Amino acid sequence: MKELKDLNFPDDVKYTKDHEWAKKTGELVTIGINDYAQDQLGEIVFVELPEVGDIFSEGDEFGSVESVKAVSEIYIPISGEIVEINQGLEDAPELVNQSCYTDGWLVSIKPSNASEFESLMDKAAYLDMLKG
Amino acid sequence: MPEGIISNKRSAVFIDLGLMEYKRALDLQIKTLKLKIDKTIIEDRIFFVEHSPVFTLGKRGGKENLTVSKEFLKIKGIDLVQTDRGGNITYHGPGQAVLYPVIDLEHQRVGVKDFVFGLEEIMKRTALDFNIDADRNQLNHGIWIGNSKIGSVGISIKKGISFHGLAMNINLDLEPFSWINPCGLTNISMTSVEKEIKKAGSNHFGLSMKQVKNSFKKHFSSVLSYDISENHAD
Repeated sequence: MKELKDLNFPDDVKYTKDHEWAKKTGELVTIGINDYAQDQLGEIVFVELPEVGDIFSEGDEFGSVESVKAVSEIYIPISGEIVEINQGLEDAPELVNQSCYTDGWLVSIKPSNASEFESLMDKAAYLDMLKG
Repeated sequence: MPEGIISNKRSAVFIDLGLMEYKRALDLQIKTLKLKIDKTIIEDRIFFVEHSPVFTLGKRGGKENLTVSKEFLKIKGIDLVQTDRGGNITYHGPGQAVLYPVIDLEHQRVGVKDFVFGLEEIMKRTALDFNIDADRNQLNHGIWIGNSKIGSVGISIKKGISFHGLAMNINLDLEPFSWINPCGLTNISMTSVEKEIKKAGSNHFGLSMKQVKNSFKKHFSSVLSYDISENHAD
């Protein structure tokens, strides 16, 4: 496992306690797992995603990631409707390891409650949580 | 990886379930998992069990790697159970030592890949206790002696807490493995501690699950930095 200083946490996304990131673009929010999570999981061999149109509440399980013989559930950071999923992960789940903030994004969601996004952690708060 | 991958020692309760049907042991893990998620119980629990004969599938299946018909399994009286663990099809039966750690990895700050490495390390050191030199293999996770697999890993993680675990072949009937492509792999074979001891020309008659249990406890404690106490199942 890498040291915190060797992990990449961009300033322009929000973070969750479950080690995901969320980025607002217009009305939509893109969600993925962050560098800490992908490093902890190891080589990702399969990503299970929801379907477009599925509706979730904050904290719901919305899919899973399989790595090194382990299936880890993933949780949605904000409530809303899935408007797009990253179909590229079906054939290339390793994109989550290679570029978790760009090509390895998971889903795009139309939020149903704008305040949830605002209450996610910024980089400084997330790093404080990691350092515990 | 250093001797212990966790800096803060934690405590876990070790529970020997004896011989228990797969589904019952799974229910017990899920019950424990739920109690841990809602913080009703804080301690980590490690279940040690042998199963009556059963084939289990990983979350993504593995039915295609069953090379006999379902009718055949019915005649043999062996169930096929869908699970949500990682990995492909496998077999469990009496004479195989199974360990299900229901532990809070998130709280421990143990990464999934380090935990799986740790579970493999426990089996590797257990094999060594029987003078068997087993190791990882780039073919697949688990513990191997050449191209023969002696121990497997498959876990699930919900809310940062692990369940499912490892299975190590001690002195079980290996024939049912010939009815599947274990872990989805072809051209591999399965072996056991007993088979390897016999191969080395040593006496295997003293081999017991109690020895294996003690090895698992000792190595779990050192590899994953746990103080382990044993409770007997209700």
